[in-house]
Amino acid sequence: MHNRRTFLIQSIRGLLAASAASSMLLDHTVAHAMGEEDALELGWLRLDKSEPLTRKTSLRRILQEVEKRTSIKVNAENNRVLLGKDIFDYPMLFLSGSGDFDPWSDEQIDLLRTWLQGGGVLVVDSSEGLDDGPFLRAARRELARIYPDKKPQKIPKNHVIYKSFYLIKNNPRGRLAPEVGMQGYFEQDRVPVILSSFDMMGAWSRDGFGQWEYEVEGGEIQREYAIRLGVNLVMYALCVNYKEDQVHIPFILKRRNWKVE
Amino acid sequence: MIFGDYNSSDLLWLGDWGPGWIVMLILLGALVIGISAYDLKGLKPTRRWTLVTLRALVYLVAVIMLLEPALDLKNISKVKNHVVVLVDSSASMSLKVDDGKSSRLERVQKDLPQFAALEEQSKEEHEFHYFSYGKAPTETAQSSLQDLQKITPTGQHSNLSEALQDIQSKFADRELGGVVLYSDGIDTGALGHRTKEGEPLDATSVSLLKELDAPINTFGAANKDEVKDIAITRILRDDFAFVHNKVSVDVEIQAIGLGEQLVPVTLTREGAPLQTREIQITQDETSYKVSFEFVPRQIGQEIYTVEVPELDGETLKDNNRDIFLLRIIRDKIRALQVVGRPSWDERFMRRLLKQNPNVDLISFFILRTNESLHNASNDELSLIPFPTRELFEQELGSFDLVIFQNFNYGPYSMKRYLPYIEQFIEKGGGFAMLGGDLSFASGGYDNTAIEAALPVELPPRTSKLIDMQSFRPELTEAGQRHPITQLAFDPATNAKIWKNLPEQRGTNIVRAAKKGSTVLATHPKLTANGEPMPVITIGAHGKGRVMAMTTDSSWRWSFESLKDGGTPREYQLFWHNAIRWLIKDPELKLVKLELAKDSGLPAQQVNLSVRVSNPDYSPAQNRDGELRIVRRVLPYQGAQQEKLAPPQVIAFKTNSAGVAEIPFTPEQQGVYELSAHVKSADSKEDLSDQRMLLIVPNSQEYQNILPRQDLLESIAKVSEGTYTDLAKGTVTPQFVEPRSVKVNRRKVVQLWDSALIFLLILLLLGVEWTLRRRWGRL
Repeated sequence: MHNRRTFLIQSIRGLLAASAASSMLLDHTVAHAMGEEDALELGWLRLDKSEPLTRKTSLRRILQEVEKRTSIKVNAENNRVLLGKDIFDYPMLFLSGSGDFDPWSDEQIDLLRTWLQGGGVLVVDSSEGLDDGPFLRAARRELARIYPDKKPQKIPKNHVIYKSFYLIKNNPRGRLAPEVGMQGYFEQDRVPVILSSFDMMGAWSRDGFGQWEYEVEGGEIQREYAIRLGVNLVMYALCVNYKEDQVHIPFILKRRNWKVE
Repeated sequence: MIFGDYNSSDLLWLGDWGPGWIVMLILLGALVIGISAYDLKGLKPTRRWTLVTLRALVYLVAVIMLLEPALDLKNISKVKNHVVVLVDSSASMSLKVDDGKSSRLERVQKDLPQFAALEEQSKEEHEFHYFSYGKAPTETAQSSLQDLQKITPTGQHSNLSEALQDIQSKFADRELGGVVLYSDGIDTGALGHRTKEGEPLDATSVSLLKELDAPINTFGAANKDEVKDIAITRILRDDFAFVHNKVSVDVEIQAIGLGEQLVPVTLTREGAPLQTREIQITQDETSYKVSFEFVPRQIGQEIYTVEVPELDGETLKDNNRDIFLLRIIRDKIRALQVVGRPSWDERFMRRLLKQNPNVDLISFFILRTNESLHNASNDELSLIPFPTRELFEQELGSFDLVIFQNFNYGPYSMKRYLPYIEQFIEKGGGFAMLGGDLSFASGGYDNTAIEAALPVELPPRTSKLIDMQSFRPELTEAGQRHPITQLAFDPATNAKIWKNLPEQRGTNIVRAAKKGSTVLATHPKLTANGEPMPVITIGAHGKGRVMAMTTDSSWRWSFESLKDGGTPREYQLFWHNAIRWLIKDPELKLVKLELAKDSGLPAQQVNLSVRVSNPDYSPAQNRDGELRIVRRVLPYQGAQQEKLAPPQVIAFKTNSAGVAEIPFTPEQQGVYELSAHVKSADSKEDLSDQRMLLIVPNSQEYQNILPRQDLLESIAKVSEGTYTDLAKGTVTPQFVEPRSVKVNRRKVVQLWDSALIFLLILLLLGVEWTLRRRWGRL
């Protein structure tokens, strides 16, 4: 009995591992169908193919949460994409990791700049828990090539990111909960690049059995806040400052209490 | 007289001697005289210098002979210069002076007879020319002294500056001895505008007057002390205003000779009083200004009048009002974007609309459905209820455009509002439905009021509702020309752009385009009723316009095209074009009545044309139509609705460019309501466009009736002429003498070619020889 159960568990684990391996081998796939295609997909920006995979289920998991909690229809795949022309299949990309990384080529910088100017949203999430850690330093170094005249600014607590779906009143949190909050590069009416030092994606990751992969400093409540932050980020990418309008809707409607005769 | 009838002479030297030779002769003469004086030094000084003088005279006469002197005899006479008498015959000269006994022009005409005597007195020096100005904008009219005494003051152009320039060009190659200008000094041209009361003439004006090179003797036909008047002199405003936005109108008023009193200034709209301001007029001030601010409530054209009451003793009452036509246009496109679920298609559409400064956008997105997990209290969420009643019942009319983007009405108890949306379209609103799994038939819109308005027929929900294949929409023939799908002016370039746009990912299925609608793009593989299935379809519903786009991935035209060096331009252009078409941007109307100006003068032709396009915006050639013209009285002349029947109808036919030029001359003043009517290509719909034309008497002449003595004085001073105030008497104008002469006859008499000179030399030599011998010299 025990052996049979062990065998079954191992068999299932083996199948899951094979499935994960195959998804690693395959590059991203893009479904070409309405209903699936208009479903939200997120891109996971990989630095190179040899990059070790951590938090590999995080995007799939957060997409599942987004679909459960909101009206957004998702395609919960881990679409890993290298910094090349394929990024234009995904208007929202996540870049996570730890440690320094090699500078991007000039062509890659040009592509990413065009992608950001065209409407893309990039979330950079450090697993290190350090605002001045090697990963975020490297990310800022590369982003400075895209925004030579800008520096990342702290995203204020009243920013629409914190009210795009959930009203997030506390400091944003992930697996870790440093006091520094989130930073961003601001561009006109939106924040195309968001920087996090608290490993949000670590808080979102589950293993193949649905178990959380990483402990969260503040326990499950903090994990819930991290998920809410993830939902808000996705909602922000899709709706930008829509919630700013919402505050004003009664006023706007009242202001415009006339009709064209 | 010298030499008979020759009255002038000049000495000439005909000898062909250069300066060098003349110097040589002088030196030689000096040498001869010096040698003679030395040779005769033994004689008494008296005898010595007598002989030297005689020899010098001989030498001098000989040299004169060599130089060949001659006398140029001429009979000359003076050439007469020209004197221009210029009389202002503009309407302001009709105003009364001398306590109403005569007009300004009559006062001038009383002074004109002096020129008959002047002509006679100076007929050797001056030739007189008579002109009037005021009838034409820039030209003076040649006349005679007799005619000037009979002209009437009916001209509408007190353009003194242009009149003087015209005189200068007419006498450019002739010498002017002087100009006599009779006027009240009112100049609607450059001089009057540039030189304010009491200011000296500016450099440009001085230069203009100097170019005449003649004194200008000015005669003032009236002076300020004779005027009692209040006038609306100028209305400062824009030609158009935005509906529901504040409009400012500044009014300049001139009042003189009316003592001190409080005067109301009233602004009326279409004859109905709108606002009144009061001005306190005083003895010392002549210029006043009032401002009105109001908010137009209706798109279209409205007639406004500014007026002051008629006061006792006024010189003129016609200038107590001014009238203008204001075109009121849409300020911003008010768009309502309703989205069933956040998506990239929604996000790019919202960004496009938000970034357009001409769009006032209200978005409403469904962020959570009943099926969503509810694991947070409402206080922890930023959600607000979907204000269906406010949006679709109360406020719908305030929008120009409603966009349903992948939105299903079902879960929100909205079925009862769908007829409101249809009515909104019917009354002239714009509506666009974009694809997605919550749109069209899969959104449950079949057999609803929305389907009735859509330009496509929806399949029953039991059939296939969505196709998953990627595809590139193919332009139809209409799509190649239609402004919505025209992404480049050149058709070949446009077709190439459409072939290279990123693919659309899936489409809603529609059964067919409704009759009367226009399919702009179709699916390359799917068919409906044997025809390629419509993907982008437009049409009309009532007075409104509708668009059906069956895909939800047009955002890829903006984003994915960047991958290969493209730009978001095509996406932006497509949707901006679509929005403009949906809200009936006047530039995209199928029938456009075009007027060069909104107002004009009676009996002047108005440039009017009608441009007709087919639904695909190709020129509608040889299309028959008619222009209906209804004239009504000006608002201050009677009831607003009073029509001056019967309406005039002018038939027209468009040319190969789809344009009909219609000559139209409104003979009388009034408000002309023009409407161009053309039957649609299928003859089912009456397409039309309307414009209003305001024909008013030219009030410019009476807007400012204050005589400008100062201007006339300055003109006289700068040109070295004289100024005379005719109210106090008259003087004889002064002119310059002719500067040119004419040679009638001429004769050259050679003085050197004479035996007398030869004998003189012999005589002098004989005397010298005799005296020398007698005084003991050989």
